[in-house]
Amino acid sequence: MTTTDIPAPTARPPRSAPASERRPAREREGAAWVFLSPWVLGASVLTLLPMAVSLYLSFTDYDLFNAPRWVGLRNYTQMFTEDPRYWRSVLTTLTYVVVAVPLQLALALVVALALKNMKRGKGFYRSAFYAPSLLGASMSIALVWRAVFNDGGTVDNLLGTGGWVNKPGWALLAVALLTVWQFGAPMVIFLAGLQQIPAELYEAAAVDGAGKWRQFVSVTVPMLSPVLFFNLVLQTIQAFQVFTPAFAVSAGKGGPADSTLVYTLYLYDRGFVASHMGYASAMAWVLLLVIGVVTAVLFRTSRSWVFYASEGDR
Amino acid sequence: MPGHRTKGFCAAAAALVLCAVSAGCGGSGESVGGGKVVLRYTWWGNPDRAARTEQAVALFEKQHPNVRVQTSFSGYDAYKQKLAIQATGGDAPDVMQLDYRQIDQYASGHVLLDLGKVKDVLRTGEIDPGLLATGRVDGTQYAIPQGRGTETVVYDVKAWQASGVPLPRQGWTWNDWADAVRALAKKTGKPGATDPGQSEDAFEVWLRGQDKSLYTKAGGLGFTAGDLARWWTFTDRLRREGAVSPAEQTTQLDGSVENTPLGRGKATADFNWDAPSSGYRALVPTGVALAPMPSGEDGTPGQYFKPSMFLGVGAHTGHPKEAAALVDFLLNDDQAAKILGATRGIPVNETIRKDTAAQLKDFDRTVADHQASLEGTLKDPPQAPPSGDNALQTTFQRDYDQVSYERMSPREAAENYVTEAKAELRS
Repeated sequence: MTTTDIPAPTARPPRSAPASERRPAREREGAAWVFLSPWVLGASVLTLLPMAVSLYLSFTDYDLFNAPRWVGLRNYTQMFTEDPRYWRSVLTTLTYVVVAVPLQLALALVVALALKNMKRGKGFYRSAFYAPSLLGASMSIALVWRAVFNDGGTVDNLLGTGGWVNKPGWALLAVALLTVWQFGAPMVIFLAGLQQIPAELYEAAAVDGAGKWRQFVSVTVPMLSPVLFFNLVLQTIQAFQVFTPAFAVSAGKGGPADSTLVYTLYLYDRGFVASHMGYASAMAWVLLLVIGVVTAVLFRTSRSWVFYASEGDR
Repeated sequence: MPGHRTKGFCAAAAALVLCAVSAGCGGSGESVGGGKVVLRYTWWGNPDRAARTEQAVALFEKQHPNVRVQTSFSGYDAYKQKLAIQATGGDAPDVMQLDYRQIDQYASGHVLLDLGKVKDVLRTGEIDPGLLATGRVDGTQYAIPQGRGTETVVYDVKAWQASGVPLPRQGWTWNDWADAVRALAKKTGKPGATDPGQSEDAFEVWLRGQDKSLYTKAGGLGFTAGDLARWWTFTDRLRREGAVSPAEQTTQLDGSVENTPLGRGKATADFNWDAPSSGYRALVPTGVALAPMPSGEDGTPGQYFKPSMFLGVGAHTGHPKEAAALVDFLLNDDQAAKILGATRGIPVNETIRKDTAAQLKDFDRTVADHQASLEGTLKDPPQAPPSGDNALQTTFQRDYDQVSYERMSPREAAENYVTEAKAELRS
C-alpha cells in the first residue's frame, strides 16, 4: 500500500528545536505533508489504487472468488458485439440523460427566476426547494417514490394510471422525475448567477423598449450562459452515473422488462449479481471515457453560445 | 475494536485509518467489550421464520453465556446479493444460511469453513447420509442441510372452495392445472394463479415432468430453446387469457411472499416452496392449503425433495468452535427444534424428526403432512446446480419480463436466454 510513501518522521513536529533554521525548506515541506496526509491517503488509497486495480481487472475474468484470469480485450469485445442487454442499457441511459437533464435545468431556472424578485419569504422557499436535493439521494426517499408510483400508490389513486413503476413505458419517467425533483443545487447556482447580472443592463434594455421576454432572451440568457453551461456539464455527468433511483424504483432489477436498466445498474448487476467483476470494470472504464468525450464535446460547443462578460471588454 | 488507549492517541488514530483503508480489518467474529464472543448469523426468510429464529438464538445465548449472536435477515434476492458482497470482501458472517445454488461457488471460492475441522462440536451422526452429502463439494463437507423442502401449489383454500372448481389432487397434470386456473379466473374474477413463467423452479418441475432437467451431469444446459419456448408459450397464453397474474403483478416478485399476487390478494394460488409458504398465513386471512405440483401429461412427477437450505460457517471466522456450536444447536438441539418447527423444512436430525413429528402444530403440521403424502412418489433430486445458475435465475425472470410485457415472442426470449445461459455456464 502506498501509505508507506508518507515520510513518517516529519509527523512529529520538533517543537523545542529552533535548529530548524538550518533546514527551513525541509521543515515547511514536512509540515505540508502532515497537513496533506489525510488527502493524500484518501486519494491514493481510496481513489487511485482502486482505479488502477479496476483497470487491471477490466482485462481479466474475475468472479470475486477465484484469482483474476487475464483475458485481454475479451470483456470489451463481448460488451460491444455479443451483449444486447449492454446496448439496451446504453440506450436507456441516453434516454434518461436527454429527458432528465433538460427538465431538471428548466425547472431549476424557472424557480430561480421566480425566487429572484421575490421580496418576502425568499429564504424559506429557497430552503424548501433545496431540501429534496439533500433528501432525494437517499434510499428511503427512493423507496417512498416506488410506493408512490406503484399500483395502489398515490399517483395511481389520483390519476388512475395504474402503477408507473410496473409499466415499461413509464417506469423510466418515474425514475427521471425523482432526479428532476432534486433540482435544488442547480437552482441555487442559477439564483447566484441571476443576482450577478447588473441591474443597469435591464434598465438600459427597458429604455430601449425591450419587454420582459426580450430582456430574458437578450440580457438574462447571455449573462447567465456561463452558469447555465456549468450546470449543464455537472448535471449531465451526474445523469450518466444515475444509480440509486433506478435501483430503488425497480427493486434492483432494472425492470419492468429492462426499462430502467440504466448503465450503472447493469454494471452493478454484472459485477455483484452475476459475479463478473472484470466485465463490470470494463463497463466502468467505457463509462468514464464516454463521460469524458461528452464533456469535451460540451466544452467545444460552449464556445459558440457561452458568453463571458470579460470577452465583451476586449 | 479493542481499545489500547495506553499506547497513545497516535497509535489509535493510525490503527483507525489503516483499519478504514484495509477493508478486511476486524473481519468477522471479533470480540467486543465484556469479553463476549460475538457471532454474526444471517439468513433469508419471512417474519414468521425470523420470530422463531430469534427465540432459538436467545435460548442458545442463555446456554452459552459467553456468546452473543447478532442476527440479520432479509428476502432471498436481497440476501443473495448482500452475502455475495460480504463473502468476496472477506467479511462473510460467522454462520450463514445458504441455498443449494450457492454451495458450489462459495465452497470453491474458499468462503466456507471445512466442517471436518469442527466435527467434535458439530455432530452430523443423525443426519441421513444421502442428504448430508448434498453439502459436500469435492469430498469436503462445507455445509449442512437444515431441512427438506419441496415445491408446492399453495392456494387460498376458502376462495378455491367457494368457486366450486375441483380442488387440486395428487397426480394432476399441467393441463389440469391450466384448466383449474382458467375456471378460477372465470368464477372469482381474479387470476387463478401467479404467472409461473418467471420462475425457474416451476420451469424445472415442468421439465422434469418430461424427463428432462435444467442442467446436465456435466453442468451444461439440460434443455433446448425449443423447450423453454414451449413453457413460455404455455404460460404466456394463460396470461393473455387472464388466467394467471398480469405482467405488472408478476414483475414485482422478489422472492418474498409479501410481494406475490397471492400475498397481495390479487390471485388465488401460487407455486412456492413448502416451508416459506407459512408466510402466506399472515397475508391470506382465509387460510392457505398445500397441494402437489402438477405432473407431466403421462403422469411423470416433476416435483422432488430438495435440501431446503444449508448452514455454513465462514472460513475466516475468528471463532470456529462457537460458530460450529451454534450450527450444532440449530440442527441437533431438542429445544431449538421445538421452537423452529418446520420453518426451514422438516428437521434433518432423524431422532428429532421422529420425536417432533407428533408435536408439530399449525402450518408445520401442514408441511409435514404434505411431504408425507409425497413420500415414495417422487423421483431423485437433481445434483447441485453449477455456479452460473445463481445469476441465471435473475436472467430467467428478466427474459420472461420481455415475454409478459409483449416485447418479445416466447421463442425470441427463449433463444436469448439459452445464449446467455451457455455463455454464463462456460465462463
